[in-house]
Amino acid sequence: MAANREADALWTIVGYMLSGLLFWGGAGYLADRYLNTSYLTLVGFLLGMGGALYLIWLRFGRE
Amino acid sequence: MHLKLSGEEGFTPPGVKDFDLPPIFENIEWLTKPVLLVALSVVLISIFFIAASRKALVVPGKLQFSGELVYDFVRNGLAKDILGPEFMRFVPYLFTLFTFVLVNNVFSIVPLLQFSAMSHVGFPYALAIITYLVYHFVGMKKQGVGHYLKGIAFMPGVPKAIYVLLTPIEIATFFIVRPFTLGLRLFANMFAGHLLLLVFILGGEHLLAGVIGLKLVSPFAFAMGILLTFFEFMVQCLQAYIFTLLTALYIAGSLADEH
Repeated sequence: MAANREADALWTIVGYMLSGLLFWGGAGYLADRYLNTSYLTLVGFLLGMGGALYLIWLRFGRE
Repeated sequence: MHLKLSGEEGFTPPGVKDFDLPPIFENIEWLTKPVLLVALSVVLISIFFIAASRKALVVPGKLQFSGELVYDFVRNGLAKDILGPEFMRFVPYLFTLFTFVLVNNVFSIVPLLQFSAMSHVGFPYALAIITYLVYHFVGMKKQGVGHYLKGIAFMPGVPKAIYVLLTPIEIATFFIVRPFTLGLRLFANMFAGHLLLLVFILGGEHLLAGVIGLKLVSPFAFAMGILLTFFEFMVQCLQAYIFTLLTALYIAGSLADEH
């Protein structure tokens, strides 16, 4: 049971990080293209990473 | 890219083209080696488990014992542990999935067959789509569509404004990243494994055809190929296990009221 919980945590964490980066990074990239700026992709990546870490903490950290 | 080692003809490194197998009969386009291997795996698995369970005895023979060992591993080691009291409903699917992926993976190192259908991207993704449908369906049936989607999208105990940031990540994880990575992991492992063995064994063969100095190096390439074959066997078993484990974990997540 313990090992399975860890496996669950591991793959869920990877999933959250990936979707955080992809979604908000992608949104930032599109905003950059649209607004002719260059820093929004980075902001998006940071937001996505922060959001993903927050979700991971919510799900696994506060038990 | 051609490596000029032997002087006369160049060595063509194995690549994606080695996975592009032609139809076995020229006029039947869909009948390729992977399709035959999948059919063969279904036949083999069926024969094995029917034979192993046909005359079930209290004191099992070798065949029954090995069949029960695999069944016990999936049922008690995976399903019961992860899915809790309702686990029996999912054992047939998990068991089929595990044996099917395992046998098809191992085909990659069985002499004469030596190819895994799972290294063609369509096969793992077909399985990933089935798992995707199963865990969403189970969740929607158990919790109701609205409640299930709400549970995915809105993590409880978070200030409302934060949902703008978190909800897209949650939705992307559950609906896009999970099935995508599930199929990709199996496919990429089988693809890379096959390529790795091709490099060392075809490379060894090519070295053997070269000048004397290269002939002396070739046994090392073959030895590496044999070593990696054992390594690949481990990877194949592990990937079959992980695919089944993740399917069970996703279903368990859908069954649980909130995550």
